[in-house]
Amino acid sequence: MSTQTTPSVRTIAGIVLVFSLLPGTGSSARAATTPAETTALPIPVVTRFENFGEKDGLPSHKVHSVLKTKDGKLWLGTNNGLCVREPEGKFHCYGTKDGLSHPTVLWMAEDPGTGDLWLATMQGLSRFSGGQFTVFTQTNSGLPNNVVYGVAVIDGTVWAATAGGTGAYHLKTKSWKIYDQNNTVMEEPWCYSIAAGDGVVYLGVWAGGIVEHDPKTGSFKAYRDPDGDFQFQLTPDSGPVVDVTSGVAYDDGILWQSTYFGLSRYDTKEATWRTWVQDKTPLVSNFINTVFARGRVAWLATDRGASVTDGTSWVNYIVDENGRGVVRIYRPGQEPETRTMTTALANGFVTAIWADDHEAWFATSNGLSHGVFAAPTNSPTVASNP
Amino acid sequence: MKIFELCLFALVAAAPTAPAAAAPADAAGGETSAALPAAPAEAQSSSATPASSPRFIYGTPGEKYPYYAGLPKELLPYNKVEPYERFFITRMPFRGPGRDYPPPPDLKSLRIGLLDSPKYGPNWERSVHTREGVVLAMEEANRARPPGQLPFELVEREGMAQWGGAANITADLADDKVLGFLGTIDGAEAHVALRVTLKTEIVMINTSDPDPSLTETNIPWLIRVFPDQRLEEAKLAELIVHKFGCQRIAILREGDRYGRLGVHSFMAFARRLGCPAVQELLFKPGDTDIHHQIAAIKDSQPDAVFFIGEPDDIGRFVKQFRQEGIQARFFGTNLLMDGRFLQNAGEAAEGMMITYFFDLARKDPLWVSFVARFKERWGHEPDAFAAYAYDGAQIMINAVQRAGPNRWRIRDQVCNVDFYQGVTGWMRFDAIGNNISPVPVVRFEHGRWVFEPEPEFTPSVAQQ
Repeated sequence: MSTQTTPSVRTIAGIVLVFSLLPGTGSSARAATTPAETTALPIPVVTRFENFGEKDGLPSHKVHSVLKTKDGKLWLGTNNGLCVREPEGKFHCYGTKDGLSHPTVLWMAEDPGTGDLWLATMQGLSRFSGGQFTVFTQTNSGLPNNVVYGVAVIDGTVWAATAGGTGAYHLKTKSWKIYDQNNTVMEEPWCYSIAAGDGVVYLGVWAGGIVEHDPKTGSFKAYRDPDGDFQFQLTPDSGPVVDVTSGVAYDDGILWQSTYFGLSRYDTKEATWRTWVQDKTPLVSNFINTVFARGRVAWLATDRGASVTDGTSWVNYIVDENGRGVVRIYRPGQEPETRTMTTALANGFVTAIWADDHEAWFATSNGLSHGVFAAPTNSPTVASNP
Repeated sequence: MKIFELCLFALVAAAPTAPAAAAPADAAGGETSAALPAAPAEAQSSSATPASSPRFIYGTPGEKYPYYAGLPKELLPYNKVEPYERFFITRMPFRGPGRDYPPPPDLKSLRIGLLDSPKYGPNWERSVHTREGVVLAMEEANRARPPGQLPFELVEREGMAQWGGAANITADLADDKVLGFLGTIDGAEAHVALRVTLKTEIVMINTSDPDPSLTETNIPWLIRVFPDQRLEEAKLAELIVHKFGCQRIAILREGDRYGRLGVHSFMAFARRLGCPAVQELLFKPGDTDIHHQIAAIKDSQPDAVFFIGEPDDIGRFVKQFRQEGIQARFFGTNLLMDGRFLQNAGEAAEGMMITYFFDLARKDPLWVSFVARFKERWGHEPDAFAAYAYDGAQIMINAVQRAGPNRWRIRDQVCNVDFYQGVTGWMRFDAIGNNISPVPVVRFEHGRWVFEPEPEFTPSVAQQ
């Protein structure tokens, strides 16, 4: 659901795994033949996690969404309000008493033009601007439904994915347009996620796959599971893994679809699909809550930890039964390498991720995690698509 | 039969009968101390796991379950090839935290939500019956609560007749701090409610939505006690093609979501059995003039007609079909077991074959006792909607009693039931929480509905 207009990561490549940065990682189930210390990966690698929870001032154990805005502020959508991390590390939180439409903030987006924050909540869409909240509901605006799962600001329009369709709010004209089963290719109007493509908008539709909309032409195109059945995936790499979309994200020509059945990737330039399911691929779990794209890399928030992949190499972060962090690395043509970490994600049930070239933030069901990357030890190179 | 189920079933069989004085609670699937079925592994870690009814048989996480509702291979899609990946083989766990969270502060009752259907729609009457079943279960549970324990409280929300309305209501139920909720009948509403449950982490038991795709979303916060349309239509397709040898099947269905989803499975099954439908025509609910559809179906010379729609509509159409001289066998869904169908169809109802969930005239003690108590409470006999609602509420109540006021442990209890013997009979839950117990065939014969004999469905039969 990357709707950021910040420069995508194209200089992440070449980050080297420096496990010497990880004291106490001696015991491992390592099977790789190539020493990890010298093996470069074209995707960022987290070497340690810093975790934050209610004891640090978060108003809820559950964090639904995380976003770092252009001004460097870190915003959290929690089960009990909107929070911003102050420069000194404290969290300042806003709730319904401050004007937020509902305590549960499911998703956030920044208006790149104004810096306004748009918030998808369980009871309406809220705008946070200049310290004030403005609430949009289905009774005071053209919002299709009050349960808003996703939001994005794209070219002067706020797109809100709701349980009753996608609402598009034009910021200049202050007019709304609703996209649902009556005027698009959606069979059902249950929308979950929005992503900005190159001149198009992608709608992640529950039971409807992905709908591509070109606002200029007004056209719609659906990407659907080619076998048409939820019970199985007939063949891999043939289209969306399933039609129940939990999230979409786009960057650098690559469209990602997260589902509760696996991961799909569509190369818009080559018009080719790839899919991953757990057990047959490095995907850590089929149950992917959301996906975040940066460059040609996807960050997957799953119920069993986080995965980072460019489609070829994978790094999975899980929390084992003893609460220890475990990192599992998959390189093409090599046996996977597993190591324990000195730190772990705050919780294995990851709900959302935000990342840039320097760090990653993980929203989890039991707190927030800051992923500190390994320091690059060689000159960055452009990540290549496998 | 798997070993653990053998053991559990032995416990079930060995459990002493509760005394008559405890009949309401016991007949309702209430608690006894006679046997303690294995709780799900996740739930066993909790400290609040009291003794439970022997009618609950729990599964083991990671265990394999019947694929595609346990239907015959010839009915499965692409059944001549092995798909790259099969889903819904094992039960989806919930891997998030919560099971060790303390109870909500200042708890004064154990709140269970009920999402009703919108008033005035075709499902309203069914929703009223659903509510009656739920209320009866709650009242009985409260009477059986030992002194000093928190009572159950029903939090009701009426549905809204608009797309997505149930999402708002489900969010409200979360704000109302319910521990779980039941409902609803309408497939679209159930879907949007389910999506919210994943965010709010409140388990949902659906007691009356037949949409097969509801549970196919892989969200581990739902079970459905109501057999879905797929089970009905597989049975009907086999009946039409295999038993009666029909070759030319015509379909007349409602043009709404219920009809669209309902026909989807049937047409696929018929095609896989070698008899793709020769006609599929639509009508709007309330239509009176369908002579174009009748003419087209008559021209197609069907030997079977499958009707999907509300009973008053179908009753009217069946009569018109016979009046137009269509001699084909007629088939329909469970909705036709309704006085409105018979009233409108008149003599044309004779020979209609449908599927229904269980025989309402059953004489087994659980059902007989339930009917008596229901009639005493509400002044009329229960239908299937009331009965499944009662069973669904019982599963929820039992889960709350076992798990305590913790939504995540309640989820574990609800979503790991393998078998449950309710007033509707034995239920068998698949990996995604569908009750896949077989549905019997019913024929309207000499002025009454006659259930075709079916072997008794029990956990031991289900394992064969």
